[in-house]
Amino acid sequence: MLGSNVSISGLSKSFGDFKALKDVSLEIKKGEFFSLLGPSGCGKTTLLRLIAGFEDPDSGLVSIDGRDVTGLPPDKRRCNTVFQSYALFPHLTVFENVAFPLRIRKTPGKKVRELVKRHLDLVQLEKHADKKPSQLSGGQKQRVAIARALINEPSVLLLDEPLSALDAKLRQHMLVELDSIHDEVGITFIYVTHDQAEALSVSDRIAVMDGGKILQVGSPQDIYENPKAEFVARFIGDTNLFSGKVVSFSNGISLVQDERIGAIKVEAGNEAPEGSWVSVAVRPEKIRISLAPPAEAGPLGNVVKGMVDEPIYSGFQSKYYVRTPGGGHLVVFRQHAQWSEGVPDIKWKDEVWLSWSARDAVVVEASGTSIAPVVSGDSLDE
Amino acid sequence: MSRRKVPSFSDAVFWTVVVFLFMPLFVLLLYSFNASKGGTFTGFSLVWYERLFFGSDQLWKAFGKSVSIALGSASLATFLGTLAAVGTSRYKFFGKGYVQAMSFVPMILPEIVMGVSLLVFFAGLGLKLGMATILIAHTTFNIPFVYLLVSARLEEFDSSVIEAARDLGANEMQTLLKVIVPMIVPGILSGWLTAVTLSLEDFVITFFVAGPGSTTLPLYIYSAIRFGVSPVINALSVVMVVGTVLLVYPSRRFLKAFAAGA
Amino acid sequence: MRQRNYGPWYSAPQGLWLTLFFAAPLFIIIVYSFLKKGLYGGVEPGFSLAAWHALGGGTLLAVALRTLLVSLVATSITILIALPASYSIARSSNQSLRLFLIIVPFWTNFLVRVYAWIAILGSEGFLNDALRWLGILSTPAQFLYNQGTVVLVLVYMYLPYAILPLFSTIEKFDFTLLEAARDLGASRLTAIVRILLPNIRGGIVTAVLFTFIPIFGAYAVPLLVGGKDAYMLGNIIADQVTKTRNWPLAASISMAVTLITGIGALVYAYTSSRPAAPQVDDAEDDLDYIIQAEALP
Repeated sequence: MLGSNVSISGLSKSFGDFKALKDVSLEIKKGEFFSLLGPSGCGKTTLLRLIAGFEDPDSGLVSIDGRDVTGLPPDKRRCNTVFQSYALFPHLTVFENVAFPLRIRKTPGKKVRELVKRHLDLVQLEKHADKKPSQLSGGQKQRVAIARALINEPSVLLLDEPLSALDAKLRQHMLVELDSIHDEVGITFIYVTHDQAEALSVSDRIAVMDGGKILQVGSPQDIYENPKAEFVARFIGDTNLFSGKVVSFSNGISLVQDERIGAIKVEAGNEAPEGSWVSVAVRPEKIRISLAPPAEAGPLGNVVKGMVDEPIYSGFQSKYYVRTPGGGHLVVFRQHAQWSEGVPDIKWKDEVWLSWSARDAVVVEASGTSIAPVVSGDSLDE
Repeated sequence: MSRRKVPSFSDAVFWTVVVFLFMPLFVLLLYSFNASKGGTFTGFSLVWYERLFFGSDQLWKAFGKSVSIALGSASLATFLGTLAAVGTSRYKFFGKGYVQAMSFVPMILPEIVMGVSLLVFFAGLGLKLGMATILIAHTTFNIPFVYLLVSARLEEFDSSVIEAARDLGANEMQTLLKVIVPMIVPGILSGWLTAVTLSLEDFVITFFVAGPGSTTLPLYIYSAIRFGVSPVINALSVVMVVGTVLLVYPSRRFLKAFAAGA
Repeated sequence: MRQRNYGPWYSAPQGLWLTLFFAAPLFIIIVYSFLKKGLYGGVEPGFSLAAWHALGGGTLLAVALRTLLVSLVATSITILIALPASYSIARSSNQSLRLFLIIVPFWTNFLVRVYAWIAILGSEGFLNDALRWLGILSTPAQFLYNQGTVVLVLVYMYLPYAILPLFSTIEKFDFTLLEAARDLGASRLTAIVRILLPNIRGGIVTAVLFTFIPIFGAYAVPLLVGGKDAYMLGNIIADQVTKTRNWPLAASISMAVTLITGIGALVYAYTSSRPAAPQVDDAEDDLDYIIQAEALP
């Protein structure tokens, strides 16, 4: 496929009885910042290790730049890895760590100095060249690992949860730095993470994985706004899930009967025909919360009454857990976009009205089965 | 994440080493069932086992001496080594460095030098060589091992427990017996077991400090094999290996726990 | 809460014991090496450097060089075998079984193991039998009583002393580093030589010393399988004490042996206490390993 950099087809891998990857296929484009997102044990790291060549697949093919590399050892592949634990060589200085790939290839000393300097500049570590890894902070080690992985000028950079060992503040900072390094070197980044915020903020595309399978591939907006599986909706961000039978369908609006909340209007085209069972997700920030009933519901409006179970104030917004009379639970965000003096505060035990548009509801599952890997972009079909 | 497949070269070396290490034992096993005394295998027989159990008084006497020296020297070394480890781990005092150095150096001194120096020393004192000198020698080379193992155990434990015991009214002796010792029992036990093993095994040092009437098992074995083939010793070796395995096998869980603690 | 310092009380018994039965005998040896030899063993008062001069003498020097050579060769072979073997144990999914297999043979008495080799290599031994049965030999050959056999049996005796500390160091090694090296373009061998070996240096030093020191002072092995022509310094010391009864000479040779092992120990102390080296604590752990292994029976 044109412009495809890493191509994976039908990849499976088991460790003993554990099936880590089940027939996974994927196309990653040149220059893309591509994330593999999922909980631990979902197979994302296994997939990365198969691409790097640390493991051999039970079946399936991996090709890089159109060349089949399945079965080739790591040193024969044009990709390099940034390890979760950094894997810096403790007996070598920062300079020699970064120079390692060049020394292996017996690059002349002058060229080595030049290239190492350029790469240390890239990660802003030129001052630390003579230090040993044990003298560096976590973030500095991380950057050495990146410089070292880039010096071979790989076609793909594989990053295995590179930020997980850093504290929250530093993680944000490194993420921005990674993004700008990506822009500067222009090669493909494949980024493994379990942190949805990381994946959403830097990726061009994301593959959400669970149980050894890819559930959905798409842009961050796609994944967030239009999850195609209950797992994706739940794993990424907070979400309200409703489920029930579609009792009527007219003018493109399906009426879903949730046993705890009641009838809910969903605009989902033909994804929710009358008589089918569906699961529907609504993001908490799409729901408005007020002490007074909303003025007008309209044909697309959903209105639910409830009581605040737990208000959580976090500065820029508040999060409310609301219980409906039928025993349903909803979560709602309210942005504190302006200082609203005079507007009564919503407190614990307050009676509140929740309202949202039928357009903001997304069908994530229909007829009790998940909508099987609907992939967008250039991914192969199953 | 699962480990990668082990490179086959190192595995091949490992299994070759195992064969190399076991080969002599299999030869002993084979010859212990040999009907004739010579090296050539002439037929299956239990005659050497019979001879071992019913015609080797000297051997069993030597065995008894070895066991009593092992138990005695190990216990004495455990007592001295444990106390010293408690002292050096909890306190700073004049001479601590000396005690620590003295507890390390014997381990790296070649056995022959220790044997000769003790012989010269005992001769200088006019001590008669015998069970007592062997006991002294064995205690001396056992102490460092007990000290090291108990110290390692003490290093791991949380000293605030001792402060808590003192805070709750225990005096020094009570703290030692009711708090410290119970907590370092695995270290003490492994030290004692190590000492018993080293003592049972020792030949070189014992050779120099033993006198008439103090023939330990290794000395007996030495005199038996010095003059060529001795099938009774083959049978004895087989009995010893089987005995050790039988002793160790049922208690392997305990051993594992104690090895982890040491 | 102020506490009395009980440290000296706890440590004094052991301190005194080792002073009396370890330090004092060693001191006597030092003194004896500078005294005149007695007529029928023992020493006579009077300063003499004869025992030290004798060290440079022809036969003794030859034995010393042979001892050094045999020790170096046996230690090198041991380490070269122990490295891949312990790597294999460390990477195995069943480490304890493999360690067990290494330790079990050592539950047999030291002398019995030497004797087993005599039973294999002797002129009426297993190997001769096997070779004759195969028709390769017609008359018995003597495989014993040469330096090669001494080296073989020494390697056999001290292989576990090298494997155990190497295993405990390699086990702690972060194998991701090897993956990283492979990822960055190194072949398997290059990754091992440039990444694994420098990082397990502490274990290698321990293994070298734990094999070299006892081999250098070996007594029983050269005596039983080596014969007169393969005598090592340990045998000379023993002969001087028990047969020739030249105690000053026995003392000076002992001191020479001690000095050489002492230098080894200093190198060890220096390498294992280098600041910022990741192996700082390993030395002691390694020691624990050996001791535990010996304690198992």
